[in-house]
Amino acid sequence: MNKLLAALTTCVGMVTAPVAMAADFPAKNIQFVIPVSPGGGFDTYVRAVAPILERHLPQSVNIVPTNIPAAGGARGAAQVYRAKPDGYTIGIFNIPGMLVPQIRGDSDLQYDLKKMTWLGSFGQDGYGVGVPTASPYKTVADLKALDRPVKFTASGPSSTAYSATMIATDMLGIKREIISGYKGSNDYVLAVIRGDGDAVIGPLPVMEKFVESGELRIIGTFEEKSSVPGAQNAIEMGQPDLSKLSVGRLVAGPPDLPPEVAKTLSESLMAAMQDPAMATWSKESGIAVEPGDAASAKGILEGQFNFYERYSKYLGPAN
Amino acid sequence: MLDVALTAAGNVFTFQSLLFLTIGMLIGLVVGVVPGMGGTTALAVFGPMTVGLDPYSALSLAGGLMGAVSFGGSVTSILINLPGGAPNAATCLDGYPLAQQGKAGLALGASASASSVGGVIGVFTLLLVIPISKKIVLAFGPSEFFLLATLGLVTIAACAPGRMLRAMIVGGIGLLFAFIGFDNVNGGTRFTFGIEHLWEGIPLAPAMIGLFAFPEMIELSAKGGSIAKDKGQVGLTGTLDGVWASFKYWKTLLRGSLIGTLVGAIPGVGGTVAAFLAYFSTVQASKNPESFGKGNIEGVIAPEAANNAKDGGNLIPTLAFGIPGTAEMAVLLGVLVLHGMEPGPTMILHHEAEIYGLILTLTLSSILASVIGLMMVRPLAMITRLDAHILVPSVIAISFVGAYANNSLPGDIVLAFVFGVIGYLLIRFDYPRLPLVIALVLGELAERSFAQAMMISGGSWSIFVTRPISALLFALIVMALTYPMIRTLLQRRHSVEEVS
Repeated sequence: MNKLLAALTTCVGMVTAPVAMAADFPAKNIQFVIPVSPGGGFDTYVRAVAPILERHLPQSVNIVPTNIPAAGGARGAAQVYRAKPDGYTIGIFNIPGMLVPQIRGDSDLQYDLKKMTWLGSFGQDGYGVGVPTASPYKTVADLKALDRPVKFTASGPSSTAYSATMIATDMLGIKREIISGYKGSNDYVLAVIRGDGDAVIGPLPVMEKFVESGELRIIGTFEEKSSVPGAQNAIEMGQPDLSKLSVGRLVAGPPDLPPEVAKTLSESLMAAMQDPAMATWSKESGIAVEPGDAASAKGILEGQFNFYERYSKYLGPAN
Repeated sequence: MLDVALTAAGNVFTFQSLLFLTIGMLIGLVVGVVPGMGGTTALAVFGPMTVGLDPYSALSLAGGLMGAVSFGGSVTSILINLPGGAPNAATCLDGYPLAQQGKAGLALGASASASSVGGVIGVFTLLLVIPISKKIVLAFGPSEFFLLATLGLVTIAACAPGRMLRAMIVGGIGLLFAFIGFDNVNGGTRFTFGIEHLWEGIPLAPAMIGLFAFPEMIELSAKGGSIAKDKGQVGLTGTLDGVWASFKYWKTLLRGSLIGTLVGAIPGVGGTVAAFLAYFSTVQASKNPESFGKGNIEGVIAPEAANNAKDGGNLIPTLAFGIPGTAEMAVLLGVLVLHGMEPGPTMILHHEAEIYGLILTLTLSSILASVIGLMMVRPLAMITRLDAHILVPSVIAISFVGAYANNSLPGDIVLAFVFGVIGYLLIRFDYPRLPLVIALVLGELAERSFAQAMMISGGSWSIFVTRPISALLFALIVMALTYPMIRTLLQRRHSVEEVS
């Protein structure tokens, strides 16, 4: 019994002990929340950077990647939002994926991206238009000239792929019909290759792999300067604003993170992303990393907020 | 191809790789035995720990784990009627009655040999079809997915011979549960009663734990005694007979393996359909269909072979386009990415040797896991002789932990409990429970694919018969529904003729 009491007292003591001073940060393991299931792109970035980030923190602690996949990522985001602002809980955020529910006004959304402490960015992927290799359509203008709705494949109406397809086709003046409900970017790109639809609007890195294997042709990229030879860019298509369509991977902590803690985290993350080990991984795996600091993350977030607020009518029904 | 395969073999047959293969298998067996914990959870936990290792050791660990999980899951299906994962559920149908008759050793032996042979057949079929893997994957679109899911649902009828109507009712209830959560086609959430926990739908693991573990344990504690009804008769010596049974019923073994490979090849359909279709076709092909569900060893062999053969098939979408066929493969691809391999359609071009290494470890592990499993059969089968007052609390505790472990959500424990009550009511009033699981697994796929197929065809129903594979599947569904009836009619006429 005495032992039990002693153990209890220790536990209580540990819970109530004052938060370690910012100068000692980090004094214990840091939880890195991934609001999606293991195996996806976001998961991969965190798991790749975690061991490198450990080496760049002032004190040696573990980074613990934790998948919290529920409610389309909202639960993981809420967990970071509600965490104690001590720097021991941070998370990776899909922007605009996590931002769209906020603009759309989903009920019970327990986070506010504008209040979070932004720490850095792994970069953004641009979008583009792809068609199967054997498709007769060579340019976006060919799609526009069709006298029937063009069938696009995408994930569900609450997804960013769906919103992106709605926004882009509207800007480009393409009559569209969306075959929705595919499970993710690989799935809806494969669907168009299989012939479920005529064309697809999706993230360029996903589509480029299918281009390399000979199944897909990218006929337009929503970039200011096209990274795909032969494909028109956003300016050539007459819609420079299309370059705002992207998928960003940003890192944030809870609101009101002490500035010194945020600085430590942000600088260590930046150093980790710039580490040669990360560059080697990026080169081998073909997954691009464009290190961005806290300010650039905040800038991306604000830019995306402005863009999607303008197109809020395309964001699907609120949940 | 041969030189690449040899390079891969050279890298797999090193001390370090084999060591990690064994570690992976042991983890897989343990994880498979714990209800609710599947290969996905285990790979997600252990995959990242391989970061410091060379890619082959990591692949060996992952391959060993994947190959062993399904056998681990079968063990609990047979011994305590608690499937380790949804694909193991079909094994319960005849495996558990065998354990109740004191023939757990026989069932486990058959399970071990059927899964290893199934695994090997799956991999060999995979090697044969690699050149046409892309065509296979592209041949299956929404209309085929819908028909496959329907075919799976039709097997509901076969789950309960003689109680078809009751099976259909439970299947219908299962479909209602399956539609809870996000509507992937039209957006928004449905039937969630404002509970955020239900947004993602009913998670399978807690539902299964509730449906299977609790009712059995309530029954057992009410009755007292042990699972094996006559303790004196628990045959632990039947293991070798079980191993041999798979070869004696080689047609069943082969049919199960081929169905497993075929279904595994289609992304997004998975082992549950494979195992149930294999079971269903075995019942239909048998001369004594009424002996199934009461402890027919063929009812263990078919789903076990299918369940392991599908691991080979699962790799087809991965090899063709670098896309995962199942959640488990998705996590496995995540592990590969950590080792600098790029998933996607170019993976097989850039990392051929590693991929063959993975295939090899999968084969090795499905054989070795069975061997290790066989060595453990004796102590494991003793579980069926344990008295209720020891077994019940242990199983309930492990089940609750399993329900929580999957996603660390307290809500899942509540769900497990709710499904426990549903499961108990079902047994109490003599309704089969498996149709609920099949419907829960397939409901979302069926609904989504149906909606997509209709969007693609512009609302025309002809899409389900004009595409060749769709037409074939449609014919299979019609056959599956009518064949038992026709056969009964024929038998009746036959017996009438004999009498006259």
